[in-house]
Amino acid sequence: MSDRDSAGWRSAVANGDFVIQQCSTCDTRRFPPREFCSVCHSRTWQWQPVEPTGTIESWIVDHTFAPGTTIVMVRLTNAPTCVMYGRWLAETAPSAGQTAHAVFTDDALIDWH
Amino acid sequence: MAKRLLGGIRDRTAIAGVGYTSFSKDSGVSTLTLACEAILAALDDAGLTPDDVDGLATHRVGDSAPPSTVGPALGLPAPSWYLDQFGGGSVSHSVIAQAALAVAAGMADVVVCYRAINARSEFRMGRAANPAPEAAFQAPYGYVAPAQMYAMYARAHMTKYGTQPEHFGAIAVTERAAAAKNPRALMRTPITLDDYLASRWIAEPFRLLDCCLETDGACAVVVTTTERARDLPHPPVLITAAAFGGGSHPFDGPDMTVSAAAELSPRLYSMAGLGPADVDVAQIYDCFTYSVVVQFEDYGFCAKGEGGLYAASGSAVPYNTHGGFLSEGYVHGINHIAEAVSQLRGDAGDRQVPGAEVALSTAQPGYVLAATSALILRKDT
Ligand SMILES: [Zn+2]
Repeated sequence: MSDRDSAGWRSAVANGDFVIQQCSTCDTRRFPPREFCSVCHSRTWQWQPVEPTGTIESWIVDHTFAPGTTIVMVRLTNAPTCVMYGRWLAETAPSAGQTAHAVFTDDALIDWH
Repeated sequence: MAKRLLGGIRDRTAIAGVGYTSFSKDSGVSTLTLACEAILAALDDAGLTPDDVDGLATHRVGDSAPPSTVGPALGLPAPSWYLDQFGGGSVSHSVIAQAALAVAAGMADVVVCYRAINARSEFRMGRAANPAPEAAFQAPYGYVAPAQMYAMYARAHMTKYGTQPEHFGAIAVTERAAAAKNPRALMRTPITLDDYLASRWIAEPFRLLDCCLETDGACAVVVTTTERARDLPHPPVLITAAAFGGGSHPFDGPDMTVSAAAELSPRLYSMAGLGPADVDVAQIYDCFTYSVVVQFEDYGFCAKGEGGLYAASGSAVPYNTHGGFLSEGYVHGINHIAEAVSQLRGDAGDRQVPGAEVALSTAQPGYVLAATSALILRKDT
């Protein structure tokens, strides 16, 4: 599942790169990918590698749409304005504020443990 | 810059009629048929006929009959203003706001707003694809449904403020008790907190009884000038304030426990010249129990973080007196507006809030799409 704004990020993940966009004009970091900076409206940007960690902001345990899956919302350590979603792979349940580490999947997604 | 959006039309338009189909899990008819039935019922309630109608308005997500089909199906002789807004619950109240704007501006004199859905038998909202571009970064992980998203926000609120399952449960119990007094409601058998806690998981922390019904049905309301409404059979219910928008942040913005309603509500109250303390009855968009919690906070009925306690306190403003989406049925917002009208007319029967003069009715608070809408309605005194 990919669109014209997400395709570049998906390719980066497929190459094993953990990146987000950074505005070349004002350095604001953003995710999901968007062509225009919402702060300064520049459309000049680059993919910025960041530490593939974050903190658990929230999580659910699904019983209906993806039964048995724990899905986490993670705020990135080096880009606190950026939030990513993914499956939680650790043995124990997540807790708020816990550090999460990104896991690259075979199908070019990011999960967490 | 002062925000004066719609402020100039305070009390200039009114709701003169409401109409419903029955609610069910399988209507057996098309959304076009549902729309026509609700519209004709609303016009009959208003003492008007299709010949009086010059505007039709709805919102939909590709799941229902548009005004340009409904108008000819009803043989409207002079349709001059159609609104076919894309969107779900978050825009439900902006449809009425825009009808009010059109009537106040003289673009139309009688606008019927409707929402017609077969949300159980044909197009299940909870299983519909998320139309937002963000879905590309969520759906591959199995994060696809509004129930999951609201569960995610509810968990954040629980973590940050100590909101408990029992608070959510109290909302489900309260709304079911209200529905028991509402002949239209689909779910009228009272429930207890234990029933709530025993209901099966949908997406933790949400149980089945945290989630709204999926309903087939339609509802319509007639908007006209206050002047004209005063000549019609029912006491007019004035559209005192209407606001939409809000939501300057994406829905996973800096604080998960704040909805777009927090940005919208000061503007709404300012237009009305009223505050939360003036509200006698509140119809709060309840796609899930948690949406009631966050809106009690963001519409100023209690402090941030205390919405669960407030809702469960027994001293909250009377809310979702029809049973809400949790127990009356899910018509995507317009049935909240119709219930507010009934309360302000004083014809709500066993569930009437004594002396209700001011009502708040709200839309999906902007978590799924970063915008919301709301109305303040007032008895014509
Ligand atoms: Zn910038």
